[in-house]
Amino acid sequence: MAGSTARAPRLAFTGRAGQLALPRRTLLRASGLAPLLALFPRREASAAEYSSAAKALDAVDRLEADVAVRLRALSDELPPVRPFVGSVLADQERQRGERARVRRRLGLPPAASQQPTAPPERDLASLRKAQEALVYAHAEGLPALDDSWSVRILARHIVELARHLTVIDLWIEAEEQRG
Amino acid sequence: MARPAVPRRDFVARLARMAGVSAPVLGLLDGSVQALPRSEATDVAILCGALALEHEAIALYDLGLSRNLFPAGLRGYAVEFRGDHQGHRDTQIAIVEERGGRPPERLARYELGPLRNGDELLRQALLIEVAAQEAYTTLISQIRTKDYLLSAAFILVDEVRHMTVWRRVLGVRIY
Repeated sequence: MAGSTARAPRLAFTGRAGQLALPRRTLLRASGLAPLLALFPRREASAAEYSSAAKALDAVDRLEADVAVRLRALSDELPPVRPFVGSVLADQERQRGERARVRRRLGLPPAASQQPTAPPERDLASLRKAQEALVYAHAEGLPALDDSWSVRILARHIVELARHLTVIDLWIEAEEQRG
Repeated sequence: MARPAVPRRDFVARLARMAGVSAPVLGLLDGSVQALPRSEATDVAILCGALALEHEAIALYDLGLSRNLFPAGLRGYAVEFRGDHQGHRDTQIAIVEERGGRPPERLARYELGPLRNGDELLRQALLIEVAAQEAYTTLISQIRTKDYLLSAAFILVDEVRHMTVWRRVLGVRIY
């Protein structure tokens, strides 16, 4: 339900109550967008400012792998969530292929293989946090791409990933209501 | 949820036209224009187009909330989503004004359909959220300025959330 305590901090840069990191404030001030500062209250975590398309795409690859390992762990324990997990993993696989095309177009090396560093926490809050980080990395990575075609591809990925994030939110709300 | 009787692109363009979106941006939305020159003028045109859609969405939520049409369990979402749209509006007004432009004002009247009950309202809310999501997804690659691009990306995330919640409420598949 809206306003649930399970909701994560509001998104930045949209005028929502929420967040803005100091580096972004600095950037806005430097770019002459100081009036916007009044609209962007404090943000809990720093917004990433990717200095290159390669760094943005590397972050996306890493965060996507993190979400995938958490999803698989939850799926092992909760068979009813397998259709959702299967759908998300299929989307991720297609998106990896499309990001590979973006890398080729931008003259970047292929993505490195991602290995999970530790067993994931098997809880919804951790999954939500990981999915949110993946969504943020896409949004914050767009300015680093500097290529309309690539922005269009990753914007479509944002639509899918934000949908996954909302499904997780709704899942958390349903669990809360169930007690 | 009944599917729109017209192709999605036409329906998005129709809603955008009714909201007062200007010709160059409408061309992108209806597919008659593939790209606009990457310029300050294009950014401002996109900002004004997005603002027109935000005004329309706020008008719908205002109407539904003032007439108490949202079902009790969903009113919280409506308040939240209206707040999001108001945030998007204020952010983009500030960007337009900072660039010396004149942001479009809310229209005196919107054609929001009959809206006789909660179900009709939710269907219209979903249509408007789908249009907003499609519009931002289409327009985002034409944005030149990095900070506006970043803002638009986060606004897009909000629009997807709204759309997904209403889809679920109306029993439309969400994954």
